[in-house]
Formats: sequence, structure tokens, C-alpha cells
Amino acid sequence: MPSFRVLIIERDTREAAELRAQLEDWEYTSSSVAASPAETCTVDDAGLALAIYQDYQPSLVIFGPCASKTAEKVQLRQLRQYSGIEPVPILFVLDQKEASGSPNIDGCDDILVRPYSPPLVQLKLASIRRFCEFGRSLMAQRDRMRRHHADFLQEQANAREIFGNLGNESCLDDTPAIRYHLSPRAVLNGDVLAATHAPDGKLVLMLGDFAGHGLAAAVGAVPLTSIFYSMIPRGFSFTRVLKEINRKLHDILPRQMFCCLAMLELDPRRNHLRLLNAGMPSPCVKSSDGKLRLLESRHLPFGVLAADQIDSAVVNLRVYPGDRLFLWSDGIHEARNKCGEHFGESRLLELVQDGDHSGESAFERILIAVNAHASQQHDDLSLVEMDLAHGSLLRPRCEEMENNGNRKGGRVGEWSINLRLADSELRSGDPLPHLLGVLAQMPGAARFQEELAISLGELFRNALEHGVLGLDSSLKCTDEGFVHYYDLMAERRSGLSHGWIEISLRCRDRGRGGELQLEVEDSGPGFPHVSEQKGVYSGRGLSLLKTICRELETRPGSSRVRAVIEWGSGVAPGQAGEAPGEKTVQTRPRSV
Amino acid sequence: MVVSDRFDSRVFSEVPDDGNALVIRIVGNFDFNMHREFQRAYRNVAPPPKQFIVDLSATDHLDSAALGMLLLLRDYCVEVSREGFQPDVELVNANAHVSHILSVSNFDRIFSIR
Repeated sequence: MPSFRVLIIERDTREAAELRAQLEDWEYTSSSVAASPAETCTVDDAGLALAIYQDYQPSLVIFGPCASKTAEKVQLRQLRQYSGIEPVPILFVLDQKEASGSPNIDGCDDILVRPYSPPLVQLKLASIRRFCEFGRSLMAQRDRMRRHHADFLQEQANAREIFGNLGNESCLDDTPAIRYHLSPRAVLNGDVLAATHAPDGKLVLMLGDFAGHGLAAAVGAVPLTSIFYSMIPRGFSFTRVLKEINRKLHDILPRQMFCCLAMLELDPRRNHLRLLNAGMPSPCVKSSDGKLRLLESRHLPFGVLAADQIDSAVVNLRVYPGDRLFLWSDGIHEARNKCGEHFGESRLLELVQDGDHSGESAFERILIAVNAHASQQHDDLSLVEMDLAHGSLLRPRCEEMENNGNRKGGRVGEWSINLRLADSELRSGDPLPHLLGVLAQMPGAARFQEELAISLGELFRNALEHGVLGLDSSLKCTDEGFVHYYDLMAERRSGLSHGWIEISLRCRDRGRGGELQLEVEDSGPGFPHVSEQKGVYSGRGLSLLKTICRELETRPGSSRVRAVIEWGSGVAPGQAGEAPGEKTVQTRPRSV
Repeated sequence: MVVSDRFDSRVFSEVPDDGNALVIRIVGNFDFNMHREFQRAYRNVAPPPKQFIVDLSATDHLDSAALGMLLLLRDYCVEVSREGFQPDVELVNANAHVSHILSVSNFDRIFSIR
């Protein structure tokens, strides 16, 4: 228990001694209830009291009978200033006859009347002491809270560093096609933005918003981003990754917590956008003619149910030149002004519709307008704009390839792999990542990783969609058909009861170069005898293959497709050491 | 998502005459600040009613924390179910703004809304 210190100001030694005696008497009685005795210190005048005040830190100041007569207002004020926020009462000792109507009691808190009545003095001291202890415990609590708060901020800052590093793998800053702005309300952000490339060059981006904000919301970002950054670059399919995220969040989040998420996959080669919106405010696609299309939420937020309907909730869109996509978190829609009025979707869409104006892009104008509207920030704010047909998205990652140049110098080796997938695997399985994972371990695999991922992906999809599922590409000629095609695919795939796909790969080392032969065959009826008129879009898969593969062979009536990827110097021995990013393969298709 | 800093909202609950349902009425902003009151409203009824009706007619706004509380109520129904009977939750009388939030979150898949 803290000691109770009394500072006595009295020049007259006899008076001072009498006051001390009063305090000692009190000390004697109250020490029986385990209160520590009061400590006293006597000084001659208020000037001396001020001099020792900071060192002594009294709990109570008593002006003796002589001192109270000469007490000056200035000194009293100073004493109070010294005590700071903690209340230290000041008592005057007055004679009985002075006590009523004395002009000199201004500035003190209470008086002790002389001659002293020990019970009254003790009562007063006890109540002052209780009062002081109460004040002191409040101060101690305040200090403890300050410390806790400082620790808390420090912890959040540490956590922020960790969460900041989670985003290190993102490719958000690699392309001018993406602009983004993240503005957390607290130290930590409950909004998560992540983007990375799939091995076949597709760009996958997600914007998530956890219920709540601050630490509780931010911890969810760890499993979310770790699944995203580990599965997408390994080639797991879009829907497979989404299913995994939902399953994981459902397993680990407390029941009342969930994550709204919009995730998109952009295939810049096929101008194909897939998007899943689970509880986020509708992202908006603005086409070059100014038309807006909202992609409303078609799924429960993630983590709510163990089961998902991801396959039916994904929307497919064709991308046209000039298409731009706006993604946002509800912090923008629900930014409130002083009257509590939300910023709202209509204001937001007006700005998007309006587009760029007087040197300011729609992106900037949205941020300016939201900041001007909101009196204070109530929630995490995120805004992303993507130029869906931007050329930089198409460019193969040449720099990266060059950087990894020395890794590619190893032997290629001679090997072959055969893989047969039955209907149960084709229904729900996602065999490509596993196959690519195995192949990545093969010697010299880095030389052909992207080409392999693209061609294997194309051939597998071709076999699955047309061969096994019997879907007709010409459906994709119209915008409605395009969407219908993917709905039909999800439906037929989940109900698949027979069919197979066989994949075989053979790799041959040819000294300074090499070739990889891919053969994919399925249970379907095979390629039609007459080459049909196909839509601009549906032919894209094959023309893409033709640019990558040296040979591409299909035979009418057979479902077997053979493709050959070549690298190094199959062409001229002298060119073997040239820049690895450059393609030295030729296109020599035999039939389509 | 936001945690509101307004405190002028309230939760009222009553059992209508037939005694089968518990009506929980939320006035003002349905957000994190209501979680104790809301939880007390549905937990303090013994035996649990056949149906929980969440009346949103006087609810101005509903945030993600409120959606979380509705999920907890849904869990509570599973918890108290016995002999093959499980209480259900119905969300009623939501205004346009609140309905929009419920539909964006696709909560109509797991709650009956009318």
C-alpha cells in the first residue's frame, strides 16, 4: 500500500509539533486496520514547501495556524500546479473564532479547527486519505492503460510488418495495367489485395474484406494469402483455389467472422475474364463505349458454409479492347458524411461513367470524392482499377526468364511420363498442377515451363471440353453463348460418369537443345472430318498452340493430338547460347 | 467492414400471443455494439421458441458484424435443436438498403427473408 505523506507548513515549532501529534495519534489508530502509517515532513514556509514538493510528492498539504495566516494566493496556485492532475488537498488550520467568515480561507480545500478535536481531525484525515487513494488508483489505471495501449500499437506495428511481407509475392506493381489504393482505418488492414500469375501466364487478382477491422480482421489474411500465393503459381485451377480458401476459412474462422471476396482470373491470350464475387460490392466493367456492367455477388461470403456453389457462381466474360474493371471494398460505398449519409453506389458509378476529366483519371476522382464526402474514415478503403486489355499483361515474363537464366543451363535429360485420368478424376480433380509439379522437378524443366503449362493446359481443356464433355466451341460465338458454354461445362462436368483422358510426355535431349513431345487423347469421338467454320474466339486455343509448338498434329476421326515443343538450338548450332526469352521455335502445323 | 460508433440503437424482444415465436426487433444501426443485447434477446428464452423472427422494420443499417451475429443465431438454433426439431430464423420487413446488404451477401441462401 502506498504511504500517505503529509507536508506540514508551519514556522512555529510548538504548533508544528502539536499537528504532528494529531497525525501520529491517527496513525496509531488506523495502523490497526493495516494502513501504513502516515509520514510527515515539516517545513517553515510555503517557499520551502515548493522547493521540496517534487521530491517529497505529498498526498496532503497542511498550512499550520501561523502559515495559513500568511499564505499567498500565488504560492497556493503553484502548489496546485505541482500536484498536476492528481488531487492533493490543501488544509488550513484556523482558530475556532476565525473559522467562520475568515477572509483567508480562499484557495484551500478544507480547514482544521483549533483547538483540535481528535475524533474530527481523524475523521477528516481518513476521508482525505480514502479520496487520495482513489485518485491514485485511477492514475495507476490510467498509466497501465497507456502502457497497454503503447504495447498494443507496437504489437500491431510488428504484425503490420508481417502482413506487409505477405504481399511481397504480389505482382501488383509489375504492370501499369493495375492501379490500386489501400487505406486501412486502423494500423492493420482488414482488406486484402493480392495478385499473381498462374504458370500459363494468366493473371489472378483478389480483393477480400474480412468482417471487422484491425487485428481480428487482419489475421484472416494469413491463410487467405498463403493459399492464394502457394496454389495459383503452381497452376491449380481458379475454382479449386476458391474452394480451398472457403474450406480453410470455414475451418479456422470463428462462426461470426467471414470474408467477402472478389477474385478474378484474366487470360490475356484468350481475352477471357472469370470472376467470382462472394459478398463484395459489385465490381464494374466499363467498356470503351462507356457502357457499365456490374458483376453482382452470387455467392455467400467465404467461411460461412463448408459447402460452396463456386462452380455455378463464377461468371465468364469476354474482354474487348479498352475494357476497364473497377473493384472496391464497401468502405467506399459506406463512407459517411457528418449527417451519416453514405457515399453510395450511384455516386460512385457516376464518377466511373464520367471517366477521365481535366487531367484527372476516374480512379483519382473517386478517391478525391470519397475523401471529400467522408467526415472521418470509418472503415478500410480499397480501390483497384484494371485495364483488362493492356498490352503489358500479354508480354511473357522475359525479364524473369533472363534472371533465372543460369538455372536453365542444366541437362534436360531423357524421360517419359504417361498419365491416364478416369471420370472420377475429371469430375472434380485438377490434374494439371500435380503434373506440372512433377515436371518442374525434371532436369532443365525451367527451359520450357511456360510453354509446357500453356500447351498442356490447352490440350487438356480441349480434350475435356470437346472430347469428354462434348461441348461445341461455336456456342462461344455470341456473348450469351459464351456464358452458357461455361455454365454447361460446370453442369456436365459435375455429372460426368464415364470418359477418360490420357496424357503422355516424352522429353529428348539433343545436346544443345531438346524437344518435348506431348500427346493427349480422350474418350471422345475425335476431330471432325470437315473443318468447321469457327468463331473468332473459339479458334484462339489452337492458334495459340501453333505459336508455341513446332509441330501440332491432329487427325480427323481420332482424338489424339500430338504437339512438339522445341528449345535450345534445334535450328542452328551457333544460336544455342542466345537470350533464353527469345523463341526459336517454328510453327509448322499440319492440320487444324 | 465497419464497426459503428453510434450508441443510440436498441434491441427489443417479445413473444406474441400464440407463444410459438420470438420476435427480436432491432431499432437503429444493427452493428457490433448490439451484440450483447442481441445475444441476450435470443438466449434468455427457455424453452427455445419454434421460430426466431428478426424484425428489421426499424433497422437503418446493418453491417458485417450484424451478419456475423445472425450466423451465431443460426448456430444457436442447431445447438438447441432436439428430437429432430430445430428452430428456424426468419428475417422480416427489411428496408431497401438493408435488403440490398442481405442480398449482396447472399444471405437469402441461408435465411428465409420476407
